[in-house]
Amino acid sequence: MGRAGTATTGVTRSVSADGEPLVDVDELVKHFVENDTLVDRLTGTEPTAVRAVDGVSFAVHRGETLGLVGESGCGKSTAGKTLLGLQEPTDGDVRFRGESVYDRSGAALAEFRREASIVFQDPFSSLDPRKTVGATVKQPMDVHDVGTLAERRERVRDLLERVGLSADQFDRYPHEFSGGQRQRVAIARALVLEPDFVVLDEPTSALDVSVQAQILNLLADLQAEMGLTYLFISHDLSVIRHICDRVAVMYLGELVEVAPAGGIFENPRHPYTQALLESVPRVDTTERDRDVVPLSGDVPSPRDPPSGCRFRTRCPEVIPPDGCDLSQQAFRAVMDLRGRVENGTLPVGRLRTELGADGERADPEAVAERLYDRTVDRELPADHAASVRDALRAVAEGRDAEAAKLLRERYETVCETTPPTGERAACHLHED
Amino acid sequence: MADLLRVRDLQTRFFTQEGQVNAVDGVSFEVREGEVFGVVGESGSGKRLRDADLAADVRADRPDAVDGSFVDLLGLPDRVRRGLRGPTFGTVFQDPASSLNPSLTVGEQIAEAVEVQRRADANPRSVDSRTQGYGLAKFLVGGTVPGSGYLDEASEARAVELLEQVGIPDPAERAEEYPHEYSGGMLQRALIAQVLAGEPDLLVADEPTTALDVTVQAQILDLLADLQAERGMTILLITHNLGVIARMCDRIAVMYAGEIVERGTLSDVFERPVHPYTQGLLGSVPDLDSVGGRLTPIAGNVPSLLDSEMGERCYFADRCPKAMEACLDDPDERSAAGSADHTARCVLTGMDYGDSPPLAEDHFGDGPSRDGHDGGDP
Ligand code: SF4
Ligand code: SF4
Repeated sequence: MGRAGTATTGVTRSVSADGEPLVDVDELVKHFVENDTLVDRLTGTEPTAVRAVDGVSFAVHRGETLGLVGESGCGKSTAGKTLLGLQEPTDGDVRFRGESVYDRSGAALAEFRREASIVFQDPFSSLDPRKTVGATVKQPMDVHDVGTLAERRERVRDLLERVGLSADQFDRYPHEFSGGQRQRVAIARALVLEPDFVVLDEPTSALDVSVQAQILNLLADLQAEMGLTYLFISHDLSVIRHICDRVAVMYLGELVEVAPAGGIFENPRHPYTQALLESVPRVDTTERDRDVVPLSGDVPSPRDPPSGCRFRTRCPEVIPPDGCDLSQQAFRAVMDLRGRVENGTLPVGRLRTELGADGERADPEAVAERLYDRTVDRELPADHAASVRDALRAVAEGRDAEAAKLLRERYETVCETTPPTGERAACHLHED
Repeated sequence: MADLLRVRDLQTRFFTQEGQVNAVDGVSFEVREGEVFGVVGESGSGKRLRDADLAADVRADRPDAVDGSFVDLLGLPDRVRRGLRGPTFGTVFQDPASSLNPSLTVGEQIAEAVEVQRRADANPRSVDSRTQGYGLAKFLVGGTVPGSGYLDEASEARAVELLEQVGIPDPAERAEEYPHEYSGGMLQRALIAQVLAGEPDLLVADEPTTALDVTVQAQILDLLADLQAERGMTILLITHNLGVIARMCDRIAVMYAGEIVERGTLSDVFERPVHPYTQGLLGSVPDLDSVGGRLTPIAGNVPSLLDSEMGERCYFADRCPKAMEACLDDPDERSAAGSADHTARCVLTGMDYGDSPPLAEDHFGDGPSRDGHDGGDP
């Protein structure tokens, strides 16, 4: 039941052998409309949507911990909140025990609220400072009218003990607790209705590493004791590796790779997963000698993501067209230049002024030559250099569209024309 | 290698309603010419400060003295700074966005730093202007000195050159953009360019990659390593990230509760840690290259840094799995079996666990139990 008329992109949902998943995320989309300024409204300009989550599908199986990892802005937290129905989805569906989360109302919705809960990153702002921790933990039971008051209090005291606090801390206020202890309170609250499924949204990111270790151990213990299923959202690959059974890697609103943790960490397939792993500095004395080639550039805007594979503007393995004999670095350089021709960000005007100031001719030929020197930082084989010069000449003469076309005809890659899909890694290098 | 910077018995204190807080308590270290010296510690000038309101008060009064896990050189009292005798330093902070003025172009701000350095060269006695960076840039744009009209072409050209050196593509165009047009990684590069304009002897990098994503962090660490290799730049790197420490540092100091508890070469501290806190810290980090298993956390929480509650003992004793009666006298920093640089502030440098009677678990009252499951120390 994907979006009608839209092609599936990214990692496709695999059909599981072990029956129906507990949570089944199907082509989930969440766009935010921002920038709805007065000018936009007066001029009738459509505000551009931020495509935070743009068609992700994955399943969470009973009893497992699925990690959702990616860098800031990749959409992982939005995905977590949207799949719990804390935000309206733009499109797609999420099924819990086979039944859509978004179609539920009344008793079915209340049941879902009991069975699925969330722990947020910040233990300082997620607790109400005016309420005792006992009242905070108890509140979901009040809302859902579970048990008698005495039973509720008993259950809270029991839970406080289970998360490593003491029952007589019931009447204390959040400010009397450390960050790690507050996160324990937040965990107790998330568990008070005995849910099956818990979304853990960066639950240890605000904590010091020694306290983080306490919380990770606690989460593992609680999972074993209570048979919980976790969706663990984090930017920290070491934490993900430590706690997750399977891992889904997100980039710019899409899933790029999903696999068991061992596969992701020992044999990453997607070039982004590989780059991400390589970037993490190891806590080891051999770290200084480890060769790291940092990924170039920044993540593009989620308002206007690149066509085809969204990672193609930074990918160190972007695929040259058939018959193109450029080295990977040279092809990367040509791709970067193409991007700038297409965005119109080459400094033509400046170079013209510069040439004038240097007392040189500022004709298109000279401008094109200087553009070449400034933007192509490596030796290209003669025929490629000639193609690039032709294109830059066109840019210098203001024929930008023609320049873009010249380059596209020679260098267009499958990575920009066709969104990659795959069961494990969404990358044209790994098409099954 | 000669010492470039010596810090002696540094104290940073501030005052709250609850009393005096010793954020940094008698710290001494030296940074040698050409090395990368790392200071590592967890956050936490103490749990009394975690109350947001209180922290806000403190920040307003004494912006230099908020976090006990680092030494804020720019925030040092004049007396101490004069004691630094000579070397100039520039600082790169965690949050580059707040270190630049949003209403001036990036190029203008770097060119200003170039001008300041030029005037300082012309008049070496104007010591104030040699501490280029955050404070001064703010001062400049505060209107005391005319803005961009005042900058000459040479400074502007130098600014573009610096932007290029820190790996900003199209430096001439990017120089004309405003900070909000830069990504986080680009801003951090720009800030490093601004610091380089001051030709500092020492680069102080205070959590320089903490706000950045891991792929961008790798870019910035690469840049710092290049600067260090090419210019022989001395770097004082302050971070909570043990991986960053491992990637960058020659020698390191581990801080706990405002004190240096262990120091030495990277391999002294990482491979032969003596202090139980260092051991606990290293044991807490999940390992990217091996699967699962249980972590060995440090029980309990960072102690109070309130002067009245600190007492004369090893500050780690209430969480230490090897605490003994001998630990109740404030242990000295002594050399540990390792390189000549290796020291630890722990009785275990001179005795084995058990040589003195172990402390009872509840020695410090209803403190944390030591089973790694954080009892809780409200
Ligand atoms: S599809 Fe192309 S650009 Fe995308 S990750 Fe694979 S090789 Fe790189
Ligand atoms: S001095 Fe004693 S309490 Fe302190 S760290 Fe060493 S062994 Fe532990």
